[in-house]
Amino acid sequence: MIPARRIKLFSNWFAIYMRYRMRRAFNRLVVTPFTPKPGHSVLLLCNHFSWWDGLWGNYLAYWHLDRHLYIMMQEDHLQKRMLLNLFGGFSINRSSREMVKSLQYAAGLLNDPENLVVVFPQGELISNHTTEIKVEKGIERLIKNIKGPCQIVYNCALIDYFESLKPSVFFHLYDCGVAGEVTFDELITKINTFHRHALKAQIDVEH
Amino acid sequence: MIYPQKNKLINWFFHNYILRIVKSNFQEVKFDGVGVDKSKSVLLLANHFSWWDGFLMYYINYKILKKHFHVMVIEKTVQKVSFFKYVGAFSVSKNSRDMLASLNYASELLNDPENMVLIFPQGKFRSNFIDEVTFERGVSKVMQGAAGKFQTIMAATFIENLQYKKPTANVYLKAAHEINGLEDAQNAYQQHYHTAKQQQNKIIV
Repeated sequence: MIPARRIKLFSNWFAIYMRYRMRRAFNRLVVTPFTPKPGHSVLLLCNHFSWWDGLWGNYLAYWHLDRHLYIMMQEDHLQKRMLLNLFGGFSINRSSREMVKSLQYAAGLLNDPENLVVVFPQGELISNHTTEIKVEKGIERLIKNIKGPCQIVYNCALIDYFESLKPSVFFHLYDCGVAGEVTFDELITKINTFHRHALKAQIDVEH
Repeated sequence: MIYPQKNKLINWFFHNYILRIVKSNFQEVKFDGVGVDKSKSVLLLANHFSWWDGFLMYYINYKILKKHFHVMVIEKTVQKVSFFKYVGAFSVSKNSRDMLASLNYASELLNDPENMVLIFPQGKFRSNFIDEVTFERGVSKVMQGAAGKFQTIMAATFIENLQYKKPTANVYLKAAHEINGLEDAQNAYQQHYHTAKQQQNKIIV
């Protein structure tokens, strides 16, 4: 397992640079108003459907949720882009015993209320149009290991175009409760309800 | 009403321009094969969720339909984007007398088997995530005006990003069998759209 070697200054530069890149690549980045609970760290569960997801996680952490970003990445992906290690990327290898270590490491990060950890519960790239979010077992273990106060947030990102050649991305953020207070089954139901809600809300989104 | 214009040089330029921007902005444009009847014109019905739809359909036409491209566009847009009329756009303005002229013109075009007419029956931008596609009434008028002379092809487009930085467009095409009236058309399209969407949902990398 590769732990994060987050360097604050570099992470700040990276966040500013990526915001610039995103503003160029996208027509609009719309985030539903959301304030995380004060004094809680944030476990940000995102749907995984594109190349941009992790960078969006960074964007949300910096400019909207106001926490230090850490992000769980597949080991081979991280090894190819070790630079991201300096911005808070740490690895998970699903086919090895070290997986438990990564989950415990993530839980440990969440003990600090300043931190935010991005995890993709689907564990693989799945269509943006999917109506069901599958949540991998590991998430249960991760949440069980969190000792400090931690809010679980589901982020459903959806891409739509409307009057532009550039895509717009809409982030629908939902509060799934505090770690330790929701059971794993409840969490899965909540995420799926929220996901369907986001798909519905997207239809009437302003454009 | 604004009619399509012909000018060999400008047509040539924008033909290449459209193909180029489609190629450079998308990782891939995937589409199904569809049987095109050479003795009939084509009425292409597509969902409308972005500025790309028209360009993507232009590309599809170039690739497999191989007819003269025509598209019905809101008058304001044709006025604003002046080159549209050089790539086969003709105008329609909703809720005006002119609308009938536009619909009749579309039917007229469909009487020539060399032509294809693209119509966005939704009449305005709707999200790519909608479940139900609702048609505006004008489509049935166009169909009546050219009954028997054309073949209806339905296109449902979904955009997907996945592992590439550039998006991939999936265009699901299907030829519709005999369609009578608006409701029939809407149901047929809805069914196609639904199946396409389910196929799209299953994409996993």
